[in-house]
Amino acid sequence: MNDPLFGIDKLDKDLNGIPEKKIVLFSASPSVGNEVFGYQVIYNNIKAGKKVLLMLNRTSPESYLSEMKDYDFLPQSGLDIIDSYSSITGINSSSGKSVTTIDNPYNKEEVSRKLLAELDKGYDLLVLDSFSLLIDFFDFDYGLSLLSEIKKKQEANGTSSVILFTDWNYEQKDINSLMSAVNSTVEIRGVEKRVIFGQYFAVIKCDWVQNKTFSSVLFKAVKPGGIKIYFPKILVTGPTDAGKSSFIHSASKDAVSVDKLGGTIALDHGNLDFKGYKADLFGTPGQERFDPLLKLLGGEAIGVFLVVDSTKPEQFPRAIEMLRKTEAYGLPIVVIANKADLKGALKLDEIREKLHLDNEIGLVQTFAEDLSKVDPNQPTKLKKEGIDEALSLLFKQLT
Amino acid sequence: MVGIKVGFKSFDEASGGLDLHKIYTVIGNKESGKEDFLYRMAASSLTDKNAVVYVTTAKSASDLINEFNSRNLRVSQYLGKDLSILDDFSKISTPNAQDTPYSKVLNGPLDLTGLSVALSSVNGDFLKEGRSVIDVIDSVSNLLVYNNPLTIFRFLQFICGRSKISGVTSVFALDSEMHTADVTETIKTMSDGVISLKFENGKRYFTLFGTAKEVLNWTELS
Repeated sequence: MNDPLFGIDKLDKDLNGIPEKKIVLFSASPSVGNEVFGYQVIYNNIKAGKKVLLMLNRTSPESYLSEMKDYDFLPQSGLDIIDSYSSITGINSSSGKSVTTIDNPYNKEEVSRKLLAELDKGYDLLVLDSFSLLIDFFDFDYGLSLLSEIKKKQEANGTSSVILFTDWNYEQKDINSLMSAVNSTVEIRGVEKRVIFGQYFAVIKCDWVQNKTFSSVLFKAVKPGGIKIYFPKILVTGPTDAGKSSFIHSASKDAVSVDKLGGTIALDHGNLDFKGYKADLFGTPGQERFDPLLKLLGGEAIGVFLVVDSTKPEQFPRAIEMLRKTEAYGLPIVVIANKADLKGALKLDEIREKLHLDNEIGLVQTFAEDLSKVDPNQPTKLKKEGIDEALSLLFKQLT
Repeated sequence: MVGIKVGFKSFDEASGGLDLHKIYTVIGNKESGKEDFLYRMAASSLTDKNAVVYVTTAKSASDLINEFNSRNLRVSQYLGKDLSILDDFSKISTPNAQDTPYSKVLNGPLDLTGLSVALSSVNGDFLKEGRSVIDVIDSVSNLLVYNNPLTIFRFLQFICGRSKISGVTSVFALDSEMHTADVTETIKTMSDGVISLKFENGKRYFTLFGTAKEVLNWTELS
């Protein structure tokens, strides 16, 4: 059977899941939170047939499961819970899950004894939410000695563990000890000024993956859907009438265009949600009279879709010029050869040659979903296959 | 700079109101009228077009609104628009308590991460609109019932830091008789200003320490 998963595409690709006997720490700043990572790990492992134990002390099982449901991560079976919360409030758990209750969550001996005994029942994965609360109830030494005991159980039983931790400005020596005690640490932080305008995660340690540099990625926690890698600006550019608006409208759920008689005169915007990724697409107008805007529209983009009309090679120099004017050269790029279903459309190798594209640059054909419904004054709905291939190619480069 | 009027004439005249972007602790015993002070301050702030985030740790959002109504402080027109309530109480007794359009139900006093994330988020929404924001935590004493003091100190330290960076005015309510002297003093030390309240001979009094315009003698709250 395969190792437990993160259930988050980027982490599973970078770290190849969570090998047995390993401990992963999700360390969040207090303004961001890490609970959705826990929900996603639990749900995806149960879906993959794993047996998961949740040690819960920050809220009741009912409340926890209700939040999982909000993210569409409610597990139907396969989740056992150690409830180290309800005895504090005096409200008994009625979550419908298999629950072991800690009678006195302020008693460290009982907490350790019941958790360690439960681990002997053969779980694939332990999720502990929250480790910082355990430290706050007792102290750091207790937390570290419990981790040491969990490790011993893992060695005997092959369990992996995910530890959720909020970094409340603890002493650095304690943080260092914690980082040394785990096999991998994923930091979750906010991009913070007066307001928090973004959040990101980054693998800062992983002892089972060698010789690899990990990049940090922005993300959004979406209800439903969970953690989505987020790209705040992807540019869609190309000559007039190549199909930029069609591409954005076909790739996004809620695209808007500022247009006049079918031609984009300001910009297109679309928000897309694709296989664990979210992105904002910004389209440029293609007409030359808007060229002074191109630099502005291209600023801060981190990837580009260059859309060309497969039947109009005479526009290809203009396409290259637009890349230059948006200052998008050098960014990860995928070229969309649109209108590939029209008479006179060039083949992919002809387009690659005429655009002087290296073989490494992604080039994808897109087709109208129904040619008989094409309205020159409206964006054309494009077939899903081409859109998906283009998105996959760009996101692969971006991560 | 014009201060935040708290709705008590004697306080506002003597102090000029609360300074914007500062952190205050409102301290007093059970009879001192802390809650009454906070409700009137919140209502007055809303009238002056400020945004208020009210964290309630000892009653539900609907009970909080009833408290406003019972004092003839009409806040219903501000709900969900200028007044956001973070209900950190209801899930203690009702684990499946649900959000309303004007209040978010949090996990309860043990989940301080949930509280800090929610505060950051709601404050951020108001700040992005260019609003002046007042956070009220009513009360820190209830958080201390469930958590050890060191945990609460770390939490408040974080909240104070974020308030300073964000330019949010924060007001913490603290019971003067529930905690040891060192706990009370530590929380007071974290604040820029300390408003002490007391009830004596049928009247309420206040002092204000730590701000530019202090009121050092017990003064009747009228």
